[in-house]
Amino acid sequence: MGGVVRAEELRVELGGAVVVREDEGRTIASPSTTDEVAALLRLCSAKGLRVEVAGAGTKREWGGGAESDVVLETRALRGVREHSWQDLTATVGAGTPWAEMQRVLAAHGQMVALDPLWEQRATVGGVLATNDSGAWRLRYGSARDLVIGMTIVLADGTIAKTGGKVVKNVAGYDLHKLMIGAFGTLGVITEVTFRLHPLPRDLRSFTIRAPDSGGLATLIDSVRRSHLLTEGLQLRGTQAGLSLDIQLIAPVDRDHLTLFDNLAAAAQCAVEPAAETARAARESLFVQPDRLILKATMLPQDVIPFAEEAVEKGGDCVAQTVGVLLASFPGDMLSLKLAEEFRYHVGSQGGSTVLLKRTAASSVVEWSAHVSEGDRSRAFPLMREIKRRFDPERVLNRGAMGGV
Amino acid sequence: MLPAKMIAALQAAVDGSGVQVNRQSGVITAASQMQTYECDGLTNFRAMPGAVVLPRSAEQVQAVVRICSEYGVPFVARGSGTGLSGGALPAEGGVLIGFSRMNRILEIDIANQRVVVEPGVINSHVTDAVAQHGYFYAPDPSSQTVCTIGGNVAENAGGAHCLKYGFTTTHVLGMDVVLPSGELVTFGSKAVDAPGYDLTGVFVGSEGTLGVATRIVLGIVKRPETVEVLLAAFDSVAQAAQSVSDVIAAGMLPAALEMMDRLSAKASEAAVHPNYPVCEALLLIELDGGSSEVEAEAREAAAICERNGAWEIRRAKTAEERGLIWKGRKAAFAAMGRISPNYIVQDGVIPRTALPKVLEAMQRMSDEVGLRVANVFHAGDGNLHPMVLYDREIAGQEDLAMDLSYRILHLCVDHGGSITGEHGVGKEKQEAMGYMFSEPDLDTMKRVRAAFDPRGLANPDKLFPRPRMCGEKSGPYVPHPLETAGVAEFF
Repeated sequence: MGGVVRAEELRVELGGAVVVREDEGRTIASPSTTDEVAALLRLCSAKGLRVEVAGAGTKREWGGGAESDVVLETRALRGVREHSWQDLTATVGAGTPWAEMQRVLAAHGQMVALDPLWEQRATVGGVLATNDSGAWRLRYGSARDLVIGMTIVLADGTIAKTGGKVVKNVAGYDLHKLMIGAFGTLGVITEVTFRLHPLPRDLRSFTIRAPDSGGLATLIDSVRRSHLLTEGLQLRGTQAGLSLDIQLIAPVDRDHLTLFDNLAAAAQCAVEPAAETARAARESLFVQPDRLILKATMLPQDVIPFAEEAVEKGGDCVAQTVGVLLASFPGDMLSLKLAEEFRYHVGSQGGSTVLLKRTAASSVVEWSAHVSEGDRSRAFPLMREIKRRFDPERVLNRGAMGGV
Repeated sequence: MLPAKMIAALQAAVDGSGVQVNRQSGVITAASQMQTYECDGLTNFRAMPGAVVLPRSAEQVQAVVRICSEYGVPFVARGSGTGLSGGALPAEGGVLIGFSRMNRILEIDIANQRVVVEPGVINSHVTDAVAQHGYFYAPDPSSQTVCTIGGNVAENAGGAHCLKYGFTTTHVLGMDVVLPSGELVTFGSKAVDAPGYDLTGVFVGSEGTLGVATRIVLGIVKRPETVEVLLAAFDSVAQAAQSVSDVIAAGMLPAALEMMDRLSAKASEAAVHPNYPVCEALLLIELDGGSSEVEAEAREAAAICERNGAWEIRRAKTAEERGLIWKGRKAAFAAMGRISPNYIVQDGVIPRTALPKVLEAMQRMSDEVGLRVANVFHAGDGNLHPMVLYDREIAGQEDLAMDLSYRILHLCVDHGGSITGEHGVGKEKQEAMGYMFSEPDLDTMKRVRAAFDPRGLANPDKLFPRPRMCGEKSGPYVPHPLETAGVAEFF
């Protein structure tokens, strides 16, 4: 292990092929092709250098952060390589900012049907490595349902393609599923092929308030049973109470809005036009400094009770009714204790919690490993073994994901 | 022959202290009884296992796999044996684990839209169990009335409706798996996004090479309010293909989009008389959802077909009318027997837009060899089922037909597609894997295999390419016994 490696040294050894710079004492390499990524990783592996893979850095703390000698920055792996709009597929460089990709796809009225956080900056690779998702997963599923192929580079420089460019394909293992949510610990994603969806037309967004959570529960249930086309059903909990964001496809010539109004009235809910986007609501959780932020997953019917519990314990939260809840708790010791209790309750109901953002005090509190659920199911050793087969020297993102 | 000590251990594992009165042993070793298990739906590959074991619980599966691990004997899991690529073909002399006794639905959770099952549960029984609540289990392979969820998980089964609803992998949230070491682990959970690597995602479609699932958590889907089927007749496949692209480009996502060419429509007509118009290409569009959406989309789809030259469009709104249209489509494979003594079915995928080019090339190849190729497609997702027709009695024709069928798969790969959309690689398409994937791609997959199964005991010698033995050949379509018995249809 060679301490800090000099940018100049790497540049020379790579034959000047890869842009390498030094920034505040960190050595940062910006390969612009898959081959350059492979050359860099081969070299780092040979020299025993630890590599951190970085997109825009919007979710750098998620997964616990990594120790590194070299930062592999993906920003030069940028651009929509191919948009086969008639096939509803597109291949994109992993360093492409999410919104930039969506702008290109929108030229043909299409999109990748996922609304991650901070889409102006967050990169395609980063969104997938962290398995981020938003309100649209209600209708379209998560990244694992939208990625149909990938090019990845393993720590030893092996370049592998997985999946393909067709939506229906059962040849070989779905390695791209393994890469989604792996926090870059198994390989570097350099290119991704997505299945696309048409941009929704006639989309209306509303915010719904009810005197108590019972009304919201009734409304969510009746919307689910109806044939309304919902793009998102997002619950928001603040110290002022719970509210529901709903995105509805409602062409003017059809009866959806009337039907929805009737359902809302029956559940004694007041409907207003949405004040902000569903995504903005999630992003606002991360604005305040020194907050502890958790991602909890749970069964759909537990979402309202847990949103209420988070609020009772002094937190704010935004939850998707499919069972994904982001909660932000104040950073003081008492709040951390309450957050730990919340976490325990979620686990006891068959859910899981991972820590997205620590606070100054949380490093003192005993927060167990990232993959707590995995430990319990005894699958963690298998995950470790997969890591060992992919990256035996633990070159990539060492320390991330509970030190898998 | 398996060692007697091992057989005794297997018996102790699944029969307990002894076989009770009126209860058959869960270990079969008589050759006559094991014949049932010597092949799956790909009937020209056969192998005799050393024993067939029928466990009743996850613990028994675990015990069986532990014994296999201890003796270093390979094992293969089998559901109903309807697979079409030889995935459930036994390892010669190894242990075959049959799941017919693990067929219980363990939990129905309507509030959370989940059903938890044992792997031997029949696919359509899941829908039967939740239909009264207005839900269904979406993946619908044509064998759905006989095939098992465990087999569906192994093959990542699709079906005609996966264009809209996705594949098995879309609907599996978690599972308990006995690893080849005999360890029982849980992947995923009833909740989405379980932390850690997506082991569920990589296990689904791994064709039995990573372990044996013993408990599976499924998601169920709300049944649509209305279903309508459109049938359109065209003078050319190109016109029908353009209509498919236009329907998709218009932002519609039909539940199914199927195409048949003249030859396959003719065969279906001869077999089940669905009263199809005589034409070069038939397009079948199924739309589902809220009544007002379906009505609007049906009008739009019909207009698109007309614009592209459809000269007859039928709209089927009742279950009977829909049933008649589907009947011909579902009979397409079996009907080939009416127009050709033998045939090989393939399962290639191409990007939708490559369809005209690929069909043209296929026609050219077919003319060169002098063999007819009939085509049935899941056109919406570019999944082709070309059927190479031939006569085994004519010397050399079978080899020509097999060569042509593999060259068609290569053609699909050359156009950016895949060698299999839903039948799996199994034993049948091992070599074609080497055409589709490079050595480093395959090597990376093998790293996963090695992490799960370092000794290669789970379903060995499948999925990955291997050097072909001298004189060895892949084969023509032979009807599955279930098909001959009229229990299942090939789709």
